[in-house]
Amino acid sequence: MFHWLEKHPFFFALSVFVAIAFAGLVEIIPSFAQASRPLVGTTPYSTLELSGRQIYIKNSCNACHSQLIRPFKSETDRYGHYSLSGEYAYDRPFLWGSKRTGPDLMRVGNYRTTDWHENHMKDPASVVPGSIMPKYTWLYTNEADIETAYAEQLTVAQFFSVPYNTPIPMKDGSSKVIKMADSIAEANADALDEAKVIVADMKDQSIKDAVANGKIPEIVAIIAYMNSLK
Amino acid sequence: MNKIYLWGIIVTGIMLAATGYTLVETAGGKKDLSEVLSGDIVNTLAIAGAVALVIITVFVVIKYVRQMQVDTAGGELTEDSWDDIGEYHNPIPTGWAIIFLVTMVWGMWYFIAGYPVNSYSQIGEYNEDVVAHNAKFEKEYASITGDRLIEMGESVFLAECKVCHGLSADGIDGKAADLNERIGLLTVKNVVINGSNNSLLSEGSSMPGRDGLMNANKDYAPITDAEIDAVSAYVANGMTGEGGDVFAGACASCHGVDGKGMEYVAPNIVTYDMNLLANVLNHGKKGVMGTMPAFDRLSIKQKEAVSAYIISLSKGE
Repeated sequence: MFHWLEKHPFFFALSVFVAIAFAGLVEIIPSFAQASRPLVGTTPYSTLELSGRQIYIKNSCNACHSQLIRPFKSETDRYGHYSLSGEYAYDRPFLWGSKRTGPDLMRVGNYRTTDWHENHMKDPASVVPGSIMPKYTWLYTNEADIETAYAEQLTVAQFFSVPYNTPIPMKDGSSKVIKMADSIAEANADALDEAKVIVADMKDQSIKDAVANGKIPEIVAIIAYMNSLK
Repeated sequence: MNKIYLWGIIVTGIMLAATGYTLVETAGGKKDLSEVLSGDIVNTLAIAGAVALVIITVFVVIKYVRQMQVDTAGGELTEDSWDDIGEYHNPIPTGWAIIFLVTMVWGMWYFIAGYPVNSYSQIGEYNEDVVAHNAKFEKEYASITGDRLIEMGESVFLAECKVCHGLSADGIDGKAADLNERIGLLTVKNVVINGSNNSLLSEGSSMPGRDGLMNANKDYAPITDAEIDAVSAYVANGMTGEGGDVFAGACASCHGVDGKGMEYVAPNIVTYDMNLLANVLNHGKKGVMGTMPAFDRLSIKQKEAVSAYIISLSKGE
């Protein structure tokens, strides 16, 4: 066998490649798999949050905002604890981004509030003088697509075993269950319940009315997503 | 004279002329060279450097071209001969040899004690950074007071607070509290009607809403709409106006007769004080205007500084 390989350089090279690649995979994949397991306290997205995440992607927020805090003092002072791989366990796809035209949003839920987002998306320059972020006024009129968010929940639960409806350990020792509905109608109802909590802190009467009438404007969903980033 | 030297001089002349021309052109093309050179020492230095470079370049090139033209192989042959192809003795220059050996020693140090295997980690470097920064902060700022503290507070305010409270701390048209005054009419009225669950000064007791506020001066009758308006205006105007007796009856038992609050019972509602501001920064706040998050990530000194800055804003109110 080895004698034969020595006389056939192509197959020899191929065998060397296979041997090294195999050794590499054995070394690398387990540590990757370990590092990308969810941290204690990392939870999957609820229906409304996932819908907000889809709106975030739809509006290309990730083109200007990163979600990755590097371990530098200047960044952790501004944005909070540096990011860990396990925190992205339920991000499909992750939204690290590669460019910060605006600030990082990895932990924006810790230091911005519902009413601030409401003011800010309507007219960024009104709360951040000199901001070049455009106004996202259509978020106040478009309706969030809860059904697609529910479809994504079903998909990730089925194919990636994302733990919906199961207790997830939290940092303080308690556990938390993120609910996934059994039907589209139930998903809509759940999302509406979440939306009611959000709009309680909002001021725009038309948004409050819309939610009271069973509709969920996109702004509510994206604020739910922003608040979940911690 | 060898033809190559002649060429050297011609090329030098052309390159120097081009340098001078470029210099005159970039100066606007209206002056001659001596004027340009007398104007600024940078131009003189630049052209001196250019002349030196051109001359050295040309004559180094000439040296090697000459060497190729006239040199013949020479020196001592080694004893070995490979099919009659010989090799000259050609020892490594001493400087080279020293650098080579030093590099080898450094390489060994680098692998064994230096970067890769000696427990370097990115997070370790970050932690060292933080420790160094905190030590520096402690040394330079831990004991500052007065104007320097306020100055530091202003920079913290501009980084953390201006996003809601605005550059001039006016709350951007009611989007957040106006920090140039202690308390606004809207806020007082909202708190009197709805109560306050902020629990900023003590966990157990929160301020009741209108159902729980009785006017002691009127046999503990529940506070009326008119009284709410009066006392709100009284507090918002810095404890002046007509609501004084309502305040004495309904509010003074917790907030004090002068409104300056009581420790662990109720906050100061006349002026900002360190105690109150520290509590707001630690716990956040929720009221008629919206929700303020807690600012846990500020250090104790930074919180103190930003509190001092906010107190300085409302001086004289």
